[in-house]
Amino acid sequence: MAIRKRIALTAAGVGVLALMLTACSSGAPSSNDTPATGGAPVAGAPDWCGPNEITLGLLDGFGGNSWRKITTAAGADEVAKCPSVTGYEYADGQGDTQKSIADIQGMVAKGVNALVVFPDAGEAMLPALRSAYQAGVVTVPYRVNPGGEDGVDYDAWIGADFTTDGENWGKWIKSNFPDGAKILFLSGPKGNSQGEDELTGMNSVLGTGGEYEFIGETPFEPTNWDPAVTQQVLTSAIAKNPQIDVIVSDFGPSLVGALPEFTKSGRSIPALATSDGNVLGCFWTDNQAANPDFKMTTVATGNDNVRLAVQYAVAKATGGVLPDTTTFDAPVFEDSVTSTPNPVECEADLPGDIFLSAEMTPQDQAALLK
Amino acid sequence: MSATERRQPALTSSRWSISRGLVTVGIAVIVLFVVSALFAPSSVSQGAVLGMLPFAAVLSCVGLGQMLVVQQGGIDLSIPGAVSLSIVVVSRIPNGDDSLLVPAVLLAAGLAVVAGILNGLLIGRLGLNAIIATLGTNALLFAVVLGISGGSPTTTTRLLRDVAGGLSFGIPNSVFFALAAFLLVTLLVKKTVAGRRFEAVGANPVAARATGLRVRTHQAAAYVWAQLLYCLAGILLAGITAQPTAFQGNAYLIPAVAVVVLGGTSLLGGRGFPLATVVAAVFLSQLDQFVLAAGVPFAVRSIIQAAALAVGVALYTIDWAALRARFGHRQRVGAAA
Repeated sequence: MAIRKRIALTAAGVGVLALMLTACSSGAPSSNDTPATGGAPVAGAPDWCGPNEITLGLLDGFGGNSWRKITTAAGADEVAKCPSVTGYEYADGQGDTQKSIADIQGMVAKGVNALVVFPDAGEAMLPALRSAYQAGVVTVPYRVNPGGEDGVDYDAWIGADFTTDGENWGKWIKSNFPDGAKILFLSGPKGNSQGEDELTGMNSVLGTGGEYEFIGETPFEPTNWDPAVTQQVLTSAIAKNPQIDVIVSDFGPSLVGALPEFTKSGRSIPALATSDGNVLGCFWTDNQAANPDFKMTTVATGNDNVRLAVQYAVAKATGGVLPDTTTFDAPVFEDSVTSTPNPVECEADLPGDIFLSAEMTPQDQAALLK
Repeated sequence: MSATERRQPALTSSRWSISRGLVTVGIAVIVLFVVSALFAPSSVSQGAVLGMLPFAAVLSCVGLGQMLVVQQGGIDLSIPGAVSLSIVVVSRIPNGDDSLLVPAVLLAAGLAVVAGILNGLLIGRLGLNAIIATLGTNALLFAVVLGISGGSPTTTTRLLRDVAGGLSFGIPNSVFFALAAFLLVTLLVKKTVAGRRFEAVGANPVAARATGLRVRTHQAAAYVWAQLLYCLAGILLAGITAQPTAFQGNAYLIPAVAVVVLGGTSLLGGRGFPLATVVAAVFLSQLDQFVLAAGVPFAVRSIIQAAALAVGVALYTIDWAALRARFGHRQRVGAAA
């Protein structure tokens, strides 16, 4: 018994020691506070690329789908435009909040000067972001809101403004259905803020006069962004509503399996305002002839959000010129009616899950997903 | 009745023995359709029923697989991984190329057999607890899913979309696949010698061993057949949704157990009721469609589904006679006081 006790005590002691060591190492080398006022931007580089040499870390909370792979590659591509960034590191939190936090601490310990973070876990990531910021590392979370404040908990949050998406859809609906329309709005899990913001955007354009009526559950019909649930929700809505003029969805590609339900019921696929994806563009191309009401507009899915975040972080750390905005507005990408800015695009030879709205070429994206 | 024999509720008065499960879910389905027609007529319209049937077909296949395992007193928690794996294999491997679809389907079936043998060995041979062993297998299967797909969804091939998602004679093709699976399971279990032995092992492993049956082999075989059925369900689901996620199977774990229980198959093992399981799958799918069409809030939808399940399970598991006797006894005491 005594021996066992001693072993247990030793083990516990070693554990405590190990914990202390990690705590020390993660907090030790800080003071990387680079002055934001620098000299002339580097020749041949964009103006956000200042002269001070830095290393930059790109951290993903969950890197395991095609959208993320393309986004990560876009981030690396943006970093490569600035020769002042002499070191680049990437870490994938693999959907594990603990690992995402450890990744941030590890990068700070290694002495990176700037961090661009996709804080998937939201507010759970705030303490780690704050400690990195307080350690003097330029910290730029993007896309998902981690809570907290710019300049207090991190340098700046480069978020996507989903209200703009809603406004863009609203404008399109208004110009194509000037006399009013019955709209079915599909979004992700119940209560997600993205869907609520989009509805606010749409309402600000469409007004509350009653010409534009949202059918189904308000603020949106929850689908969990799951193609199977989307299909069930749409089937039910088709059976229930003899008239659906417009479908709005913030995840266009998930509709590909569900939209044929209209054809099966002997109706035309209605107008669609959504986000882009190659599979959806090809679906429209294949089906628009047989479905006279199938008009479509898409907003960019936002792979390039990361580029703005990288620009901001690099500018701040190298002493370059900061971008004018900290908000990423996804631009309108396709419009089948006016063809501005683009007609609906389809790369039939390339995978369905690439995003033609992204800055990266379709071929490069396809190569990434191989 | 010996201590090891498992009680099987059935109506025996008629010439054909109709299980209590079939009667119960049969009535439940009829009541549900009547209620649907009265309160949410759109949920029984042609379009809605045609939209519901493919999902009922997928759930039937998964449910039949789980039923075989439950018949042997086991439970299979590797359904999410198994369904997701076959989805990923038949959509990722061809990557849009129709000519690679058949090899991909064969590969998916091959992987299903491997997973089934693994489960069978762990549980039938090594005697591991079914919950733990199949959970472990589930994690392994998801590792393969991530290995193949990197977690990213892919569009299924056109051919699969047409075959699994299309219509023949106005009926979704997936229904024919599910029907074939149902007939196969019924014939194999009810009409072949091996099937009768399989059921005998489930009903009473001790007696089966005493008569010289290979109890462990039969128990292990259940997991292999089950995996093949999950594989079929995954292939159908890939075609039906056209753009599946890599984790599409997650939604089927609870419903698969639910349809088995609603169908009257005892979780302790014994006789299986394939027809009642399929009818229960239709019941759950139509219930989804009904609550959607009724336009109730999302939160209430979940409650209604859970309540239906609780009532269904309560029908079999609560000893109503004892409850009545106890309640009656209390009343008498109350009257005397």
